[in-house]
Amino acid sequence: MIEIKELSKSFKKTLAVDGISFSVAKGEIVGLVGENGAGKTTTLRMLATMLKPSSGTAAVNGYDIQRQPSQVRGEIGILFGGEVGLYDRLTGRENISYFAELNGMTKAETASSINELVNLLDMQEYIDRRVGKFSRGMKQKVAVARSIVHNPSVMLFDEPTAGLDVSAARIVQDFILHCKEEKKAIIFSSHSMSEVEKLCDRIVMIHKGKIVEQGTVAELKAKYRNDNLEDVFVQLVGESNGN
Amino acid sequence: MGINVIKLVFLKELKDIFRDKKTIFMSLIIPLLIFPLLFLVLGGSMDKSMKQVEENLTVAIVDSGNSSLSQFLHNQETIKLVESTDVEADIKSGKILVALEVPTDFDEGIKTEKPVDLVLLYDNASQSSQMAFSAVSGIVDAYSKAVIEQRLLTRDISGDLLTPVVIDARTTEKEEEGFGKFMLSLMLPLMLVIFSISGPMGVAVDLGAGEKERGTLEPVLTTQAGRLSLLWGKFFAITVMGLLSTIASLLGLLFSMRQEGGLFQGSAVSIEPVTLVLIGLVTLLLTMFFGALELSISIYARSFKEAQTYISPLMMISFIPTYATYMLDAKNIETYYFHIPLANVSCILKEFLAGIYNFTHIGITFVWIIIYIFAAVLFARYMFSKEEVIFRT
Repeated sequence: MIEIKELSKSFKKTLAVDGISFSVAKGEIVGLVGENGAGKTTTLRMLATMLKPSSGTAAVNGYDIQRQPSQVRGEIGILFGGEVGLYDRLTGRENISYFAELNGMTKAETASSINELVNLLDMQEYIDRRVGKFSRGMKQKVAVARSIVHNPSVMLFDEPTAGLDVSAARIVQDFILHCKEEKKAIIFSSHSMSEVEKLCDRIVMIHKGKIVEQGTVAELKAKYRNDNLEDVFVQLVGESNGN
Repeated sequence: MGINVIKLVFLKELKDIFRDKKTIFMSLIIPLLIFPLLFLVLGGSMDKSMKQVEENLTVAIVDSGNSSLSQFLHNQETIKLVESTDVEADIKSGKILVALEVPTDFDEGIKTEKPVDLVLLYDNASQSSQMAFSAVSGIVDAYSKAVIEQRLLTRDISGDLLTPVVIDARTTEKEEEGFGKFMLSLMLPLMLVIFSISGPMGVAVDLGAGEKERGTLEPVLTTQAGRLSLLWGKFFAITVMGLLSTIASLLGLLFSMRQEGGLFQGSAVSIEPVTLVLIGLVTLLLTMFFGALELSISIYARSFKEAQTYISPLMMISFIPTYATYMLDAKNIETYYFHIPLANVSCILKEFLAGIYNFTHIGITFVWIIIYIFAAVLFARYMFSKEEVIFRT
């Protein structure tokens, strides 16, 4: 599980994330919604210990992101949108096993974990070919397998479906639901409200680094008496800008 | 953990590099071929222009008196006499290489034993014309000597009077090695510094900025592996590739020296094993220094292109101290040179090639190189730990 306490991050003079707090339970999917530059990626990068918080902290499965960064990284799997970030000259299997071994897995553990994922994601045909010539969908599956090969307890998805066609996006969405079934704590950032509504148990809306609202889909709809979450979001952002 | 991760990163990077045909071609194949090709063409074209002048020594003589010198030149098989009405224009256009203007009272002057002025016109901007100039001056000298001998003979004096001393030139190096050694002491220090910069460059750009550009750096940073382990793995891979590239270039240089018809005319140079080991060590350390420096720059850059833009000035700057010592003679290099970055490396290599092992110079140079490497690695470490650098996209 994830517990975020008063997490802040400033870059030079801009405050990218401003004292946000929320938590994610096991088997729960929390949607992080906000405009570009609202602080979604910065938050996820801090959770992944790639960036150091300016103040506040977070605990990932009990490990503190400031004091135990290496253990935290062992607990998390990350899937980013945009570039899949695979090594073109390595095969699918080599790509995945590099990350598994960087996460401290033995060769035997790596091999069995990869075989499982190859079957799960139906990659038998091409897993031992070099990634360079793969289609987008095939690359996406390799990236998905890479993010979970070390069996993390927490998954972070940063706009994972950005720029994907319908079928490739489907692979990712199915995978997120698979992670939920495996009782992982999941944060999923997106600016597509329909996708968030479809997948998430709870929604955290952030704007200019601050949380403007959070709750379950049903709670939010009831509170604002609006069946369209996008309208709710636009309204909240507008109010926040007015202040 | 640390060591295992470093090894894992190192091996993965090497595998990745060796599968990249473009990098292998640029950093191994081209260095291997560049010198043999360059020197073959250079040597060939020098040979060719020399032969051209030898076979086609076109000379115009302006001589209204039909002097004895003209007759002498007529009888020389090596020159080809050409009629010319405007010698200056013809030399400029290359129709003739040189023109000899003989005054009308030439024979008169010789007979009365008065100095005679000759004009030998040539184009000092043309290599062929200069070669022809020295060939024709040689012939005129020979004529002049014949005249002197004739004059001495009439006075009943032996020609030996004019050459009281005869020099018998002997060389300390084997005659056929001398030229090669000289060229090597000029070129090798320069080349090794250049190789140490250019060798690791392609790989350093690829492993830093390249990873950023392809989006592979961020996922790697989310693994349990520490950033420093990543840095070391990359650093060693870059060092190995830089060294391989340097070795390829040196092999190419060696081939080209043995090449018949090349610039070195197949002159063989033998280098002692100790010298070779020392040169190898200096090169390795220098490659590590530049490797670390280039990796630091590369990780700062946003893209391949930016990394290359930043690294090129490094090359230019490094040329200055290296070229500054290019013409120094290995036998008397002053100690302060060994405190100047890169100049010291170039100087110590010169000394090694000349068979000089000055322990003060060696000590100073090695201490400095170690300091350079240490500083460069620390700098790389600093860059890898900075968020602003890693996420500068």
